[in-house]
Amino acid sequence: MRLPKGRTGCLSHPPLSPPCIQGGRLACALFLCLGLTACDREQRSLNGQPKAETIALANDPRDLSYQENSYQLSQGQRLYKWMNCSGCHANGGGGMGPPLMDDEWRYGGRMEDIVRTILHGRPNGMPRFEGKITEQEAWQIASYVRSLSAQQGQDVLSARPDSMSASEPPTLAERGKVLPENNLTGPKDEQN
Amino acid sequence: MAPLVAGGKVLVGNAGGEFGVRGWLAALDAGSGRLAWKAYNTGPDKDVLIGQAFRPFYPMDRGKDLGIHSWPPEQWKIGGGTVWGWISFDPASNTIFYGTGNPGPWNHEQRPGDNKWTAGVFARNVSTGEAKWFYQTSPHDLYDHDDINEQILLDMPVAGRMRLVLIRPGRNGYLYVLDRQTGQVLSADPFGYINSSRGVNLRSGRLIPVKEKEPQAGRVVRNICPTASGAKDWNPSAFSPRTGLIYIPHINLCMDLGVLEANYVVGTPYLGAESKVYAGPGGYRGVLTAWDPVARKPAWEVHEDLPLWSGALATAGDLVFYGTMDGWFKAVDARSGKLRWRAKVDSGIISQPVAYRGADGREYVAVISGVGGWAGALVSAQLDPRDNSAALGFVNAVRDLPNKTKSGGRLFVFALDG
Amino acid sequence: MSGGDGLDGALFNRLFALFLIVSLTMLALVLAFLAAAWFRRGGVRQDGVADENGRASREPLLRALLIGWTALIAIGLIGLTFASFLTDRGMADAIPPDRRTINIIVTAKQFWWDVNYAFDNEPSKNIRTANELHLPVGVPARVTLKSSDVIHSFWIPNLAGKQDLIPGRVNDLVLLPNRTGVFRGQCAEFCGIQHAHMALDVTVESRAQFANWLAAQGKPAPAPASPLQKAGYLYVMNRECSGCHAIAGTAANATVGPDLTHLMSRRSLAAGTLPMGRAGLYAWVADPQGVKPGNNMPYVGLDANELHAVTAYLETLK
Ligand code: HEC
Ligand code: HEC
Ligand SMILES: [Cu+2]
Repeated sequence: MRLPKGRTGCLSHPPLSPPCIQGGRLACALFLCLGLTACDREQRSLNGQPKAETIALANDPRDLSYQENSYQLSQGQRLYKWMNCSGCHANGGGGMGPPLMDDEWRYGGRMEDIVRTILHGRPNGMPRFEGKITEQEAWQIASYVRSLSAQQGQDVLSARPDSMSASEPPTLAERGKVLPENNLTGPKDEQN
Repeated sequence: MAPLVAGGKVLVGNAGGEFGVRGWLAALDAGSGRLAWKAYNTGPDKDVLIGQAFRPFYPMDRGKDLGIHSWPPEQWKIGGGTVWGWISFDPASNTIFYGTGNPGPWNHEQRPGDNKWTAGVFARNVSTGEAKWFYQTSPHDLYDHDDINEQILLDMPVAGRMRLVLIRPGRNGYLYVLDRQTGQVLSADPFGYINSSRGVNLRSGRLIPVKEKEPQAGRVVRNICPTASGAKDWNPSAFSPRTGLIYIPHINLCMDLGVLEANYVVGTPYLGAESKVYAGPGGYRGVLTAWDPVARKPAWEVHEDLPLWSGALATAGDLVFYGTMDGWFKAVDARSGKLRWRAKVDSGIISQPVAYRGADGREYVAVISGVGGWAGALVSAQLDPRDNSAALGFVNAVRDLPNKTKSGGRLFVFALDG
Repeated sequence: MSGGDGLDGALFNRLFALFLIVSLTMLALVLAFLAAAWFRRGGVRQDGVADENGRASREPLLRALLIGWTALIAIGLIGLTFASFLTDRGMADAIPPDRRTINIIVTAKQFWWDVNYAFDNEPSKNIRTANELHLPVGVPARVTLKSSDVIHSFWIPNLAGKQDLIPGRVNDLVLLPNRTGVFRGQCAEFCGIQHAHMALDVTVESRAQFANWLAAQGKPAPAPASPLQKAGYLYVMNRECSGCHAIAGTAANATVGPDLTHLMSRRSLAAGTLPMGRAGLYAWVADPQGVKPGNNMPYVGLDANELHAVTAYLETLK
């Protein structure tokens, strides 16, 4: 049995798992399909060349490869600490910078808005990270930032807790779903 | 910080101890505005203006270039030690006294050593900037205990002898009485609840830390008192020569502190810590302590529900004024602490009240309202209280604040009739 | 099991030999019993009739044998426990408390080793390097083991047994190498996608050589000389690299990637992934994800000029 190219990285469902040997062919095929779809969240794209932008108006096509993807999100979580976002925004609750876990976005809450905020900075104290982190990293962080306000599925969150003092890992703690109004309508205060 | 003009100089320091800066204090010539001298608080002796005249009282502060040798390599360049608090001037000896901020990052494992000259007090000649003495209240600070609080210069009896002293209620919870000519610690008594240290060794001058409360990378140490904001933060105390008491507005909070590796990236916080702050023993979060420096004990205490984040003002009418974070401006009896008067203003008070006689000959007391700062950011910056670590953990301590006050900012002036 | 090039190794080998002998003896005994049972004509009388009560006649013997067997196992286990306790004590005692020890803090990170030589009384002499240990022969080195992400395991087979590095905990281990040479260490606890490429180069050298090494590592990086090196220096300082790497003597002071101050003095790149040298550097800086997929240094996408410049600068970090 051969797996389509690019899907072989999924370790939790190896092609010859026991049900395939014992069960019927149909069950086996079904199981494999299930395994493959479930594994999308684990897809690792490591070379980090973001896909070129193709459509200007609709959501950025790169969204798809960074959202709802465990690996990208967990790299984003790591970078959020490494690049000291947490020093200004805490673990979403804010501090010197505004909270990121609430339903208010000054500059828009879509992936591409957050990426723009990170790369270009914002006037009231948000530093510019362009050239300091790669574009791919900015997308990874944006994916994580959106998870703070529960806009990513619970199943893609990393088991590492956001906050050191939190007693429960985020995969267990229920995150209140906050859907901002302007989440889909785009940035509020931006003219471009 | 607000600059201080003293001895013909304008004194200003820098802030940003959480961003990997190198702290300094500069003196500008009051007449010309030209830089007269600039003293760094880390690095080689010549940058710190340590020369022949430097006579620290304790051996731990003697040695060449301690501002380099008490740090890992390179670390002193981004080690903090800022000057953002209060400077006191003693014209008789032409000396200024000021405290230096915390060493960075908060994660102490990244900066083994005593981290001179952070978290201590300097005495300098105001004309030349030359250091006279230094005393470090928190060598190798573990908890962000900046030492920038005010110093009160008094001439008072200590153990039966008149001494020229410098008194400072420190972030680490001890009320230090130092000999201001030598930097010797005459006494250090706790004025709040402390479980992270056992006292101050008067022979070596060192704070005695409690091993179990030492933060360790990758874990969370629970119930550390006082917090990173200290038993008392920057908000200044008042001294009344009529009662001989020092009125210390301070806080009663404890914290859980977790440290992790801080990564230095220019222009971003250099911290490596997360904390969660909550009320200390007793459940109240603010205290006004009237401290008797001669008897070395409190005369009375007033407990406040919310952290006490305003300065205190003592008047000749034996009243002590202070404001609370829920917007009450209060006057208590300077001898007993009994509430004499209070008024509600539009927002929480985290400023310093002043009293003056107006042009019309009447006496006034003025205070600015407007909650904010580290303690009030939850309201003023609308942080999200679901995250315990927001505002470096302080949000957790004041979750009820949004129900008790709102943001604002006005100057209130009260006339004293009578 | 560990080899005999370190003190722990030698003691450990003795213990291992003891365990081997005891368990081989027990194995031999078990096999002997098995063979006896196999060949025993049990359950059938000499006249060929099945003997249902035949067991009864041998009961006392069986009982004695069983008691003896149980006792033997108990004694063996107690003996082995005692032996390992003694070995453990021996390892601890073998370090003369007054001898100068070297303190090394090793922090495991996905997927490399952050190494700090710590001098408690003189922190300004501390040294930070990566993926390599230098040890003077005959001098005990106390290695403090930490992890900043997941569980790893520190293993230099020639010098000592494995010891885990666990986030939030501090473990330690004493190495006392008794022979000079170059040894290989390896992470021995699966820690992620690049676990296999998480090696540690260990150089045991004479005390004089070690002192020279320490002195060299304590120096800050030289200023770039040629225009190409200068261009590389500016890139490293102003762009992505300085957000993750430190180079002493410059403004780069980050800790999430290996310290690069004396990069070229190391034997290999990226925790044993590539041999040190110009070719390796080019390969690594151009596309770290191609060389070691899934490691935590991103593909930066340098253009050819930038790549030449950065590599030229890195080559000055001797
Ligand atoms: C020095 C402190 C600081 C750092 C470091 C920092 N931020 Fe910010 N951030 C701010 C401030 C202040 C604002 C508000 C800017 C404004 O309103 O113009 C902000 C705004 C934002 C916003 C927009 C929020 C909205 O409501 O639209 C996002 C998203 C954000 N930051 C994410 C990040 C990420 C991700 C990082 C790390 C890569 C980061 N920030 C690092 C201070 C900081
Ligand atoms: C997001 C952080 C990050 C950035 C940005 C980054 N690196 Fe790295 N770098 C790492 C990490 C992590 C490693 C260790 C990888 C491993 O071995 O698993 C590393 C390893 C290296 C090594 C090998 C070090 C050794 O001791 O073997 C070199 C050389 C290097 N990086 C150079 C660079 C240069 C040049 C740049 C800028 C173009 C750069 N890095 C940007 C994180 C980073
Ligand atoms: Cu591993």
